[in-house]
Amino acid sequence: MSRTNIIALLIFGAILGYFLSFGPESTRKLKAGVYQFIAPFLTGGSGLQKQITSVRTGLKSLEQLERENAALQVENRALRATNQGLRDVEHEVNRLRHALNYRERSVFKLIAAEIVTRDSSTWWRTVTINRGKRDGIETDMPVATDVGLVGKVTTVSDSISVVLLVSDENCKVAASVEGSREQGIVSGERVIAGLNPLLNLNFLSKQADLKPGQKVYTSGVGGVFPSGLLIGVVKTFRVRELDGQAQLTPAVDLSHLEDVFVVTGRK
Amino acid sequence: MIFFFLLLVLVLIAQIAEFFIPALPWLDNAHIYIVPVIVFYGAMALPFPLMLALALYAGLLLDALTVQVIGGKVEISMGSSILLYVVLSGLMHGLRPLFARGRWEVHCILSGICTSLIVLVQYLMITFRRGSLVFTREIWWQIGGPGLIAVAMAPILFWFLQWMGRVTAYSYFPERDHFE
Repeated sequence: MSRTNIIALLIFGAILGYFLSFGPESTRKLKAGVYQFIAPFLTGGSGLQKQITSVRTGLKSLEQLERENAALQVENRALRATNQGLRDVEHEVNRLRHALNYRERSVFKLIAAEIVTRDSSTWWRTVTINRGKRDGIETDMPVATDVGLVGKVTTVSDSISVVLLVSDENCKVAASVEGSREQGIVSGERVIAGLNPLLNLNFLSKQADLKPGQKVYTSGVGGVFPSGLLIGVVKTFRVRELDGQAQLTPAVDLSHLEDVFVVTGRK
Repeated sequence: MIFFFLLLVLVLIAQIAEFFIPALPWLDNAHIYIVPVIVFYGAMALPFPLMLALALYAGLLLDALTVQVIGGKVEISMGSSILLYVVLSGLMHGLRPLFARGRWEVHCILSGICTSLIVLVQYLMITFRRGSLVFTREIWWQIGGPGLIAVAMAPILFWFLQWMGRVTAYSYFPERDHFE
Protein backbone atom coordinates (compact mmCIF):
# COMPACT_ATOMS: atom_id res chain seq x y z
CA MET A 1 0.00 0.00 0.00
CA SER A 2 1.38 3.38 -1.01
CA ARG A 3 2.10 6.16 1.46
CA THR A 4 -0.74 8.31 0.07
CA ASN A 5 -3.22 5.50 0.63
CA ILE A 6 -2.06 4.95 4.21
CA ILE A 7 -2.41 8.68 4.97
CA ALA A 8 -5.86 8.72 3.35
CA LEU A 9 -6.87 5.68 5.40
CA LEU A 10 -5.67 7.31 8.62
CA ILE A 11 -7.57 10.54 7.89
CA PHE A 12 -10.65 8.49 6.99
CA GLY A 13 -10.36 6.52 10.23
CA ALA A 14 -10.13 9.73 12.26
CA ILE A 15 -13.22 11.23 10.59
CA LEU A 16 -15.14 7.97 10.97
CA GLY A 17 -14.19 7.81 14.67
CA TYR A 18 -15.43 11.37 15.07
CA PHE A 19 -18.85 10.52 13.60
CA LEU A 20 -19.14 7.25 15.51
CA SER A 21 -18.68 9.19 18.74
CA PHE A 22 -21.76 11.32 18.01
CA GLY A 23 -24.41 11.30 20.74
CA PRO A 24 -28.16 11.82 20.21
CA GLU A 25 -27.96 15.61 20.36
CA SER A 26 -25.07 15.92 17.85
CA THR A 27 -26.83 13.42 15.57
CA ARG A 28 -30.04 15.43 15.76
CA LYS A 29 -28.17 18.66 14.94
CA LEU A 30 -26.36 17.08 11.99
CA LYS A 31 -29.62 15.61 10.70
CA ALA A 32 -31.33 18.98 10.99
CA GLY A 33 -28.44 20.63 9.14
CA VAL A 34 -28.52 18.14 6.27
CA TYR A 35 -32.32 18.39 6.01
CA GLN A 36 -32.08 22.18 5.98
CA PHE A 37 -29.51 21.96 3.18
CA ILE A 38 -31.70 19.76 1.00
CA ALA A 39 -35.01 21.41 2.00
CA PRO A 40 -35.25 23.59 -1.15
CA PHE A 41 -34.74 20.51 -3.35
CA LEU A 42 -37.33 18.50 -1.42
CA THR A 43 -39.99 21.23 -1.49
CA GLY A 44 -39.22 21.99 -5.16
CA GLY A 45 -39.36 18.30 -6.05
CA SER A 46 -42.62 17.87 -4.15
CA GLY A 47 -44.24 20.72 -6.12
CA LEU A 48 -43.03 19.23 -9.38
CA GLN A 49 -44.33 15.78 -8.42
CA LYS A 50 -47.78 17.25 -7.68
CA GLN A 51 -47.85 19.02 -11.05
CA ILE A 52 -46.91 15.83 -12.88
CA THR A 53 -49.60 13.87 -11.01
CA SER A 54 -52.17 16.55 -11.83
CA VAL A 55 -51.27 16.49 -15.55
CA ARG A 56 -51.44 12.68 -15.56
CA THR A 57 -54.90 12.73 -13.96
CA GLY A 58 -56.05 15.25 -16.55
CA LEU A 59 -54.80 13.08 -19.40
CA LYS A 60 -56.55 10.04 -17.99
CA SER A 61 -59.88 11.83 -17.87
CA LEU A 62 -59.41 13.05 -21.43
CA GLU A 63 -58.87 9.47 -22.55
CA GLN A 64 -62.03 8.42 -20.78
CA LEU A 65 -63.94 11.23 -22.41
CA GLU A 66 -62.68 10.16 -25.80
CA ARG A 67 -63.86 6.63 -25.18
CA GLU A 68 -67.25 7.86 -24.04
CA ASN A 69 -67.84 10.14 -26.97
CA ALA A 70 -65.63 9.80 -30.03
CA ALA A 71 -67.43 12.55 -31.88
CA LEU A 72 -66.56 15.27 -29.36
CA GLN A 73 -65.58 18.54 -30.95
CA VAL A 74 -62.24 20.21 -30.18
CA GLU A 75 -64.00 23.03 -28.43
CA ASN A 76 -65.91 20.64 -26.21
CA ARG A 77 -62.69 18.88 -25.30
CA ALA A 78 -61.11 22.16 -24.33
CA LEU A 79 -64.12 23.03 -22.19
CA ARG A 80 -64.04 19.69 -20.46
CA ALA A 81 -60.32 20.05 -19.80
CA THR A 82 -61.02 23.41 -18.19
CA ASN A 83 -63.73 21.80 -16.10
CA GLN A 84 -61.26 19.16 -15.00
CA GLY A 85 -58.86 21.89 -13.93
CA LEU A 86 -61.66 23.58 -11.97
CA ARG A 87 -62.59 20.29 -10.34
CA ASP A 88 -58.95 19.97 -9.16
CA VAL A 89 -59.22 23.45 -7.68
CA GLU A 90 -62.58 22.59 -6.09
CA HIS A 91 -61.09 19.44 -4.56
CA GLU A 92 -58.21 21.48 -3.17
CA VAL A 93 -60.59 24.15 -1.78
CA ASN A 94 -62.76 21.47 -0.14
CA ARG A 95 -59.74 19.80 1.36
CA LEU A 96 -58.41 23.05 2.77
CA ARG A 97 -61.87 24.11 4.02
CA HIS A 98 -62.18 20.76 5.77
CA ALA A 99 -58.76 21.27 7.37
CA LEU A 100 -59.58 24.84 8.38
CA ASN A 101 -62.86 23.74 9.97
CA TYR A 102 -61.00 21.12 11.95
CA ARG A 103 -58.46 23.64 13.14
CA GLU A 104 -61.23 25.98 14.32
CA ARG A 105 -63.25 23.39 16.19
CA SER A 106 -60.29 21.41 17.58
CA VAL A 107 -59.45 21.65 21.26
CA PHE A 108 -55.76 21.65 20.33
CA LYS A 109 -53.53 24.45 19.10
CA LEU A 110 -52.56 23.33 15.62
CA ILE A 111 -50.06 24.32 12.96
CA ALA A 112 -51.07 23.22 9.47
CA ALA A 113 -48.38 21.52 7.39
CA GLU A 114 -48.09 19.84 4.02
CA ILE A 115 -46.36 16.53 3.33
CA VAL A 116 -43.24 17.13 1.26
CA THR A 117 -41.84 13.62 0.90
CA ARG A 118 -42.52 10.11 2.15
CA ASP A 119 -40.06 7.61 3.64
CA SER A 120 -37.08 6.85 1.48
CA SER A 121 -35.72 4.03 3.59
CA THR A 122 -36.88 0.47 4.09
CA TRP A 123 -36.94 0.19 7.86
CA TRP A 124 -38.26 3.56 9.06
CA ARG A 125 -41.71 5.01 8.39
CA THR A 126 -41.30 8.76 8.15
CA VAL A 127 -42.59 11.74 6.20
CA THR A 128 -41.18 15.24 5.91
CA ILE A 129 -43.40 18.27 6.38
CA ASN A 130 -42.91 21.85 5.23
CA ARG A 131 -42.83 23.38 8.71
CA GLY A 132 -39.82 23.79 10.97
CA LYS A 133 -38.24 25.67 13.84
CA ARG A 134 -39.24 29.03 12.43
CA ASP A 135 -42.91 27.98 12.58
CA GLY A 136 -42.59 26.94 16.20
CA ILE A 137 -42.19 23.20 15.64
CA GLU A 138 -40.21 21.24 18.23
CA THR A 139 -39.16 17.62 18.54
CA ASP A 140 -41.67 15.17 20.02
CA MET A 141 -44.67 17.29 19.05
CA PRO A 142 -47.62 15.08 18.01
CA VAL A 143 -48.87 15.22 14.43
CA ALA A 144 -52.50 14.54 13.53
CA THR A 145 -55.20 15.08 10.95
CA ASP A 146 -58.89 15.76 11.49
CA VAL A 147 -59.34 11.97 11.42
CA GLY A 148 -56.73 10.94 13.96
CA LEU A 149 -53.12 10.50 15.01
CA VAL A 150 -50.33 10.49 12.40
CA GLY A 151 -47.12 10.37 14.46
CA LYS A 152 -44.61 12.65 16.14
CA VAL A 153 -41.86 15.02 15.11
CA THR A 154 -38.36 13.61 15.47
CA THR A 155 -36.08 16.04 13.61
CA VAL A 156 -36.59 19.76 13.17
CA SER A 157 -34.64 22.07 10.89
CA ASP A 158 -35.48 25.70 10.16
CA SER A 159 -38.06 25.08 7.45
CA ILE A 160 -38.62 21.33 7.32
CA SER A 161 -39.30 18.57 9.86
CA VAL A 162 -39.27 14.80 9.93
CA VAL A 163 -42.32 13.01 11.33
CA LEU A 164 -42.10 9.44 12.59
CA LEU A 165 -45.38 7.77 11.63
CA VAL A 166 -47.49 5.87 14.10
CA SER A 167 -46.98 2.83 11.84
CA ASP A 168 -43.26 2.73 12.73
CA GLU A 169 -42.28 0.09 15.25
CA ASN A 170 -40.41 2.73 17.25
CA CYS A 171 -43.35 5.11 17.60
CA LYS A 172 -44.92 3.97 20.86
CA VAL A 173 -48.17 5.56 21.96
CA ALA A 174 -49.98 5.04 25.26
CA ALA A 175 -53.57 4.19 24.40
CA SER A 176 -56.94 3.44 25.93
CA VAL A 177 -59.83 1.53 24.43
CA GLU A 178 -63.28 3.07 24.03
CA GLY A 179 -65.90 1.52 26.27
CA SER A 180 -63.43 -0.35 28.49
CA ARG A 181 -60.78 0.35 31.09
CA GLU A 182 -58.13 -1.37 29.02
CA GLN A 183 -54.89 0.51 28.40
CA GLY A 184 -51.91 -0.50 26.32
CA ILE A 185 -49.12 0.64 24.06
CA VAL A 186 -49.66 1.06 20.34
CA SER A 187 -46.75 0.59 17.95
CA GLY A 188 -46.34 -0.18 14.28
CA GLU A 189 -44.93 -3.28 12.66
CA ARG A 190 -41.34 -3.65 11.53
CA VAL A 191 -42.34 -4.62 8.04
CA ILE A 192 -45.49 -3.60 6.26
CA ALA A 193 -47.13 -6.26 4.16
CA GLY A 194 -49.29 -4.73 1.45
CA LEU A 195 -50.22 -1.10 1.09
CA ASN A 196 -52.02 -0.50 4.37
CA PRO A 197 -50.08 -0.89 7.58
CA LEU A 198 -51.60 -2.31 10.74
CA LEU A 199 -50.84 -1.27 14.30
CA ASN A 200 -50.38 -3.46 17.37
CA LEU A 201 -51.94 -2.64 20.72
CA ASN A 202 -49.83 -4.53 23.24
CA PHE A 203 -49.86 -5.13 26.99
CA LEU A 204 -53.62 -5.51 27.31
CA SER A 205 -55.01 -7.81 29.95
CA LYS A 206 -55.82 -11.36 28.83
CA GLN A 207 -59.46 -10.75 29.73
CA ALA A 208 -59.72 -7.64 27.56
CA ASP A 209 -61.78 -9.41 24.87
CA LEU A 210 -61.88 -6.44 22.51
CA LYS A 211 -64.39 -6.48 19.70
CA PRO A 212 -63.74 -5.44 16.10
CA GLY A 213 -64.76 -1.83 15.55
CA GLN A 214 -63.89 -0.56 19.03
CA LYS A 215 -62.03 2.72 18.84
CA VAL A 216 -58.61 3.27 20.40
CA TYR A 217 -57.55 6.73 21.59
CA THR A 218 -54.37 8.23 22.98
CA SER A 219 -54.50 8.08 26.77
CA GLY A 220 -52.15 10.98 27.41
CA VAL A 221 -49.83 8.86 29.57
CA GLY A 222 -46.17 9.59 28.85
CA GLY A 223 -46.62 13.26 28.07
CA VAL A 224 -45.85 13.23 24.34
CA PHE A 225 -49.36 12.66 22.93
CA PRO A 226 -52.34 14.49 24.42
CA SER A 227 -55.31 12.32 25.36
CA GLY A 228 -58.29 11.96 23.08
CA LEU A 229 -56.68 11.58 19.65
CA LEU A 230 -58.10 8.67 17.69
CA ILE A 231 -55.37 6.16 16.81
CA GLY A 232 -57.32 3.42 15.11
CA VAL A 233 -60.04 0.82 15.24
CA VAL A 234 -59.70 -2.72 16.61
CA LYS A 235 -59.49 -5.33 13.86
CA THR A 236 -58.65 -8.49 15.79
CA PHE A 237 -57.83 -9.50 19.34
CA ARG A 238 -55.76 -12.44 20.54
CA VAL A 239 -54.53 -13.71 23.88
CA ARG A 240 -50.79 -14.31 24.13
CA GLU A 241 -48.82 -16.11 26.83
CA LEU A 242 -48.50 -13.07 29.08
CA ASP A 243 -50.88 -10.46 27.74
CA GLY A 244 -53.54 -9.64 25.19
CA GLN A 245 -52.78 -8.05 21.84
CA ALA A 246 -55.08 -6.29 19.43
CA GLN A 247 -54.42 -5.42 15.82
CA LEU A 248 -55.70 -2.02 14.79
CA THR A 249 -56.50 -0.41 11.49
CA PRO A 250 -55.04 3.11 11.65
CA ALA A 251 -57.65 5.87 11.70
CA VAL A 252 -55.63 7.87 9.18
CA ASP A 253 -54.82 6.55 5.72
CA LEU A 254 -51.07 6.96 6.11
CA SER A 255 -50.29 6.11 2.49
CA HIS A 256 -52.34 9.02 1.14
CA LEU A 257 -51.48 11.82 3.52
CA GLU A 258 -51.53 15.32 2.07
CA ASP A 259 -52.10 17.80 4.90
CA VAL A 260 -51.42 17.32 8.58
CA PHE A 261 -51.48 19.38 11.77
CA VAL A 262 -48.71 19.63 14.31
CA VAL A 263 -50.22 19.76 17.78
CA THR A 264 -48.46 22.46 19.78
CA GLY A 265 -50.69 22.35 22.85
CA ARG A 266 -54.26 22.72 24.08
CA LYS A 267 -56.34 25.85 23.50
CA MET B 1 -11.00 15.57 -10.21
CA ILE B 2 -13.98 17.08 -12.08
CA PHE B 3 -15.38 13.58 -12.42
CA PHE B 4 -15.06 13.00 -8.68
CA PHE B 5 -17.03 16.19 -7.93
CA LEU B 6 -19.62 15.20 -10.52
CA LEU B 7 -20.03 11.90 -8.68
CA LEU B 8 -20.55 13.81 -5.42
CA VAL B 9 -23.27 15.91 -7.07
CA LEU B 10 -24.87 12.81 -8.60
CA VAL B 11 -24.92 11.05 -5.23
CA LEU B 12 -26.75 14.04 -3.74
CA ILE B 13 -29.24 14.18 -6.61
CA ALA B 14 -29.84 10.42 -6.37
CA GLN B 15 -30.29 10.63 -2.61
CA ILE B 16 -32.93 13.35 -3.04
CA ALA B 17 -34.58 11.46 -5.92
CA GLU B 18 -34.97 8.40 -3.65
CA PHE B 19 -37.37 10.47 -1.51
CA PHE B 20 -39.73 10.79 -4.45
CA ILE B 21 -39.56 7.21 -5.68
CA PRO B 22 -42.32 5.23 -3.99
CA ALA B 23 -41.82 1.71 -2.70
CA LEU B 24 -42.88 -0.99 -5.15
CA PRO B 25 -46.09 -2.68 -3.98
CA TRP B 26 -45.63 -5.58 -6.45
CA LEU B 27 -42.25 -6.31 -4.86
CA ASP B 28 -43.52 -6.36 -1.25
CA ASN B 29 -42.82 -2.63 -0.83
CA ALA B 30 -39.13 -2.92 -1.74
CA HIS B 31 -37.42 0.43 -2.19
CA ILE B 32 -35.28 1.57 -5.09
CA TYR B 33 -31.76 2.61 -4.11
CA ILE B 34 -29.72 4.48 -6.73
CA VAL B 35 -26.95 5.87 -4.53
CA PRO B 36 -25.18 2.55 -3.81
CA VAL B 37 -24.82 1.83 -7.54
CA ILE B 38 -23.16 5.22 -8.10
CA VAL B 39 -20.90 4.74 -5.08
CA PHE B 40 -19.87 1.26 -6.23
CA TYR B 41 -19.09 2.57 -9.68
CA GLY B 42 -16.99 5.29 -8.03
CA ALA B 43 -15.22 2.58 -6.03
CA MET B 44 -14.07 0.99 -9.29
CA ALA B 45 -13.36 4.14 -11.20
CA LEU B 46 -11.64 6.26 -8.55
CA PRO B 47 -8.27 5.86 -6.90
CA PHE B 48 -8.23 4.59 -3.30
CA PRO B 49 -8.22 7.97 -1.42
CA LEU B 50 -11.08 9.34 -3.51
CA MET B 51 -12.98 6.07 -3.10
CA LEU B 52 -12.72 6.58 0.68
CA ALA B 53 -13.95 10.17 0.33
CA LEU B 54 -16.93 9.11 -1.77
CA ALA B 55 -17.87 6.36 0.70
CA LEU B 56 -17.58 8.85 3.56
CA TYR B 57 -19.83 11.35 1.81
CA ALA B 58 -22.49 8.82 0.75
CA GLY B 59 -22.49 7.09 4.16
CA LEU B 60 -22.84 10.39 5.96
CA LEU B 61 -25.75 11.44 3.75
CA LEU B 62 -27.48 8.09 4.25
CA ASP B 63 -27.07 8.23 8.01
CA ALA B 64 -28.17 11.85 8.25
CA LEU B 65 -31.32 11.19 6.26
CA THR B 66 -32.38 7.82 7.66
CA VAL B 67 -31.13 7.37 11.23
CA GLN B 68 -33.83 8.35 13.73
CA VAL B 69 -33.26 9.85 17.16
CA ILE B 70 -36.19 8.71 19.27
CA GLY B 71 -36.58 9.43 22.95
CA GLY B 72 -32.99 10.60 23.30
CA LYS B 73 -31.61 7.41 21.75
CA VAL B 74 -30.00 6.87 18.35
CA GLU B 75 -31.05 3.56 16.87
CA ILE B 76 -28.13 3.15 14.47
CA SER B 77 -25.11 5.20 15.39
CA MET B 78 -23.96 7.94 13.05
CA GLY B 79 -21.11 6.66 10.91
CA SER B 80 -22.26 3.06 10.66
CA SER B 81 -23.29 3.53 7.03
CA ILE B 82 -19.90 5.09 6.29
CA LEU B 83 -18.25 1.96 7.63
CA LEU B 84 -20.59 -0.21 5.62
CA TYR B 85 -20.02 1.74 2.42
CA VAL B 86 -16.24 1.72 2.82
CA VAL B 87 -16.08 -2.04 3.38
CA LEU B 88 -18.26 -2.78 0.34
CA SER B 89 -16.54 -0.13 -1.78
CA GLY B 90 -13.20 -1.64 -0.79
CA LEU B 91 -14.44 -4.99 -2.08
CA MET B 92 -15.46 -3.41 -5.40
CA HIS B 93 -12.19 -1.49 -5.56
CA GLY B 94 -10.36 -4.79 -5.32
CA LEU B 95 -12.01 -5.88 -8.56
CA ARG B 96 -10.68 -2.89 -10.45
CA PRO B 97 -8.36 -4.94 -12.67
CA LEU B 98 -11.37 -6.85 -14.05
CA PHE B 99 -13.19 -3.56 -14.67
CA ALA B 100 -10.12 -2.22 -16.46
CA ARG B 101 -10.35 -5.14 -18.86
CA GLY B 102 -13.89 -4.04 -19.73
CA ARG B 103 -15.65 -6.85 -17.84
CA TRP B 104 -18.63 -5.18 -16.21
CA GLU B 105 -20.99 -8.06 -15.58
CA VAL B 106 -19.38 -9.15 -12.30
CA HIS B 107 -19.57 -5.58 -11.01
CA CYS B 108 -23.20 -5.19 -12.01
CA ILE B 109 -24.13 -8.34 -10.10
CA LEU B 110 -21.91 -7.36 -7.17
CA SER B 111 -23.55 -3.90 -7.05
CA GLY B 112 -26.87 -5.64 -6.53
CA ILE B 113 -25.51 -7.98 -3.88
CA CYS B 114 -23.83 -5.09 -2.04
CA THR B 115 -27.01 -2.98 -2.19
CA SER B 116 -28.95 -5.81 -0.60
CA LEU B 117 -26.18 -6.23 1.96
CA ILE B 118 -26.59 -2.59 3.02
CA VAL B 119 -30.32 -3.11 3.61
CA LEU B 120 -29.65 -6.44 5.36
CA VAL B 121 -27.05 -4.94 7.72
CA GLN B 122 -29.42 -2.07 8.53
CA TYR B 123 -32.11 -4.63 9.33
CA LEU B 124 -29.76 -6.65 11.53
CA MET B 125 -28.71 -3.48 13.37
CA ILE B 126 -32.28 -2.39 14.11
CA THR B 127 -33.19 -5.96 15.04
CA PHE B 128 -30.30 -6.04 17.49
CA ARG B 129 -31.76 -2.90 19.08
CA ARG B 130 -35.44 -3.81 18.94
CA GLY B 131 -35.15 -7.57 19.49
CA SER B 132 -36.99 -10.54 17.92
CA LEU B 133 -35.10 -11.54 14.80
CA VAL B 134 -37.70 -12.50 12.23
CA PHE B 135 -37.37 -13.18 8.53
CA THR B 136 -40.69 -13.24 6.75
CA ARG B 137 -41.23 -13.35 3.01
CA GLU B 138 -41.81 -9.57 2.99
CA ILE B 139 -38.54 -8.95 4.80
CA TRP B 140 -36.59 -11.10 2.33
CA TRP B 141 -38.15 -9.22 -0.57
CA GLN B 142 -37.47 -5.84 1.03
CA ILE B 143 -33.83 -6.89 1.37
CA GLY B 144 -33.45 -8.72 -1.93
CA GLY B 145 -35.69 -6.45 -4.02
CA PRO B 146 -33.41 -3.39 -3.94
CA GLY B 147 -30.52 -5.66 -4.96
CA LEU B 148 -32.40 -7.06 -7.95
CA ILE B 149 -33.36 -3.56 -9.05
CA ALA B 150 -29.76 -2.42 -8.60
CA VAL B 151 -28.56 -5.28 -10.84
CA ALA B 152 -31.05 -4.16 -13.50
CA MET B 153 -30.08 -0.50 -13.13
CA ALA B 154 -26.32 -0.99 -12.94
CA PRO B 155 -25.53 -1.48 -16.67
CA ILE B 156 -27.41 1.69 -17.65
CA LEU B 157 -25.95 3.73 -14.80
CA PHE B 158 -22.44 2.38 -15.41
CA TRP B 159 -22.72 3.22 -19.10
CA PHE B 160 -23.92 6.73 -18.25
CA LEU B 161 -21.15 7.29 -15.72
CA GLN B 162 -18.55 5.90 -18.13
CA TRP B 163 -19.83 8.37 -20.73
CA MET B 164 -19.57 11.18 -18.17
CA GLY B 165 -16.03 10.12 -17.42
CA ARG B 166 -15.17 10.35 -21.11
CA VAL B 167 -16.83 13.78 -21.44
CA THR B 168 -14.86 15.13 -18.48
CA ALA B 169 -11.68 13.53 -19.90
CA TYR B 170 -11.27 11.48 -16.75
CA SER B 171 -8.30 9.15 -16.92
CA TYR B 172 -9.83 5.98 -15.54
CA PHE B 173 -6.91 3.72 -15.22
CA PRO B 174 -3.46 5.22 -15.34
CA GLU B 175 -2.29 1.78 -14.20
CA ARG B 176 -4.26 0.00 -16.95
CA ASP B 177 -1.09 -1.19 -18.70
CA HIS B 178 -0.19 -3.26 -15.65
CA PHE B 179 -3.37 -5.24 -16.02
CA GLU B 180 -3.07 -6.00 -19.70
